[in-house]
Amino acid sequence: MMRTIGELLDHALESYADLPAVRWLKKKEVLERSYRELGEDISAVRNGLAEEGFHRDHIALIGTSSVEWVTAYFAVTTGENVAVPLDAGLPAEDLLELLNRAHAKALFLSPKNKSLAEQVRVSCPGIQKIWLLSEEKDADLETIEAVKAAGAGKANLFHGRPEDTATIIYTSGTTGKNKGVMLTQENIAQNVESVQYEKEPGCVMMSVLPVHHAFCLVMDWMKGFSLGAVVCINDSFMHMVRNMGIFKPEVMLMVPLMIEMIHKRLSAADPAIPKNILAEKVFGGNLKIIFTGGAHLDPYYIDQLAEYGVDVLEGYGMSECSPVISSNMPDHHKKGSIGRPVPNAEVRIENGEIQVRGSSVMKGYLDMPKETEETLKDGWLHTGDKGYLDEDGFLFINGRVKNLIILSNGENISPEEIENRLALDPLVGEVVITGENNGLTARIYPDQDLVQIKHLSGDAVRAGLQDVIDGFNKSQPSYRQITGLVVRKNPFIRNATGKIKRTEAEVDG
Amino acid sequence: MDKAVEFKNIVAQYTEIAAEDMTDEMRFREDLGFSSLDFMSFLGELEDTFDVELEQEDALEVRTLGEALEMLDRLTEE
Repeated sequence: MMRTIGELLDHALESYADLPAVRWLKKKEVLERSYRELGEDISAVRNGLAEEGFHRDHIALIGTSSVEWVTAYFAVTTGENVAVPLDAGLPAEDLLELLNRAHAKALFLSPKNKSLAEQVRVSCPGIQKIWLLSEEKDADLETIEAVKAAGAGKANLFHGRPEDTATIIYTSGTTGKNKGVMLTQENIAQNVESVQYEKEPGCVMMSVLPVHHAFCLVMDWMKGFSLGAVVCINDSFMHMVRNMGIFKPEVMLMVPLMIEMIHKRLSAADPAIPKNILAEKVFGGNLKIIFTGGAHLDPYYIDQLAEYGVDVLEGYGMSECSPVISSNMPDHHKKGSIGRPVPNAEVRIENGEIQVRGSSVMKGYLDMPKETEETLKDGWLHTGDKGYLDEDGFLFINGRVKNLIILSNGENISPEEIENRLALDPLVGEVVITGENNGLTARIYPDQDLVQIKHLSGDAVRAGLQDVIDGFNKSQPSYRQITGLVVRKNPFIRNATGKIKRTEAEVDG
Repeated sequence: MDKAVEFKNIVAQYTEIAAEDMTDEMRFREDLGFSSLDFMSFLGELEDTFDVELEQEDALEVRTLGEALEMLDRLTEE
């Protein structure tokens, strides 16, 4: 039984040394690194971190997926340090705040985000070192090559212990503050083992999810390595379809929005083109399985993609559970369900809520004892999702208890966080953010006093509110932008304790 | 094929609105119903079809069909 990420990686390095581990694109050239080469780099960086004086420290990573990013992440998590991967698309002020809240002592930064380095120096006194995630020299900053050089040839260091925190993953919180999910070595190693998917070594996967997500980190990278797969890096979502043609993956992990997008393209094609030819053009010719999770997928797409020879297998998870809780598998699946719970997840339904216990359930939220206690009450992870188990043990989901909005691109949005920001504008009387189709809608009841004092017309109110939203959108990554505005005629309906009833936010009058 | 026509045919793959009903003022997300990922994929297709390279950050600033066509004109002239 694997209990640490180090054991997982060691097993892969011993079993698949000469097989390719990673492929990526540099301009239009495909580069690759074998398990042996990758293992040597990871080991050098891991030892280099110790040489630089980092022991049991939190080390942050900011950047999109790259071979350097993955090397650094495994170097941190197979040693005794704790990796804190952050969403590179967040506004700078949010990243600086998270670096401080995570008590990060060092930072690996992608060249694209280099401009952040100066701000980090000013605003994050805890950060002692910043290294650029680049194998090429940089005029201003040290790079990962310096860490590698410091650790090259040193004796291999001990791995973290099963109970040690391996990584902290930030997730939206209902209180409006991101929560740092602490996952241990064992939490993650056990999740990798419990997803009992087998594939022969050398099989090709392509990683398209954001690399700071637990689903991508654990299932694309760690599961991929444990199978001896070649994990190919999609450099940008802009090029996903083109890259499928280049790498020709057999298995991919996606969020539902990606599947919906691909389906749009398939159905827009000339109906005279045979489906197998079209599948080759869009999927690269070898794709057989897409695992999906993160948001609900309309089962319609499962039938649609089956016509092109691709099986879509839906699963369910959350960062707090490292992340997979249940998944459909090639040999046991039921359409519309989110699969059977994985062997190390014991699932019960209490008052309609899905609750989970087992070796992949997080240690807790960093520095948030109250939220941790609420979420892990009685030793069970309270998922906040409503669901049921059928007579064959398949899990079904039918609504969320929490206010979090899950967009179909898999991003979690805390409506309160956005509402609090918008409510700062005097024209905004009451506001509720809802998730509709693929985007966010702001439902706003204008401040009536201000409207009367300024004699604002309906059009002027709408224009003013649109300005508020445009101002907010400017500072946000695209998935957090508000695309819809509803100006309400009446205040929101409130419950007995005076709170707005979110479930009736769409009712006006 | 005319560049604008070819451009609109690509847009039409992601929306219910027919190429001939599209106007320059239409916004990708709000009026044509593009998701953020649809838009990214669309940009990639522009690159492949017109053999140009887009700067992702600049391209993500584009909101309307007219702005996207202007960007494309700039790039194909270079």
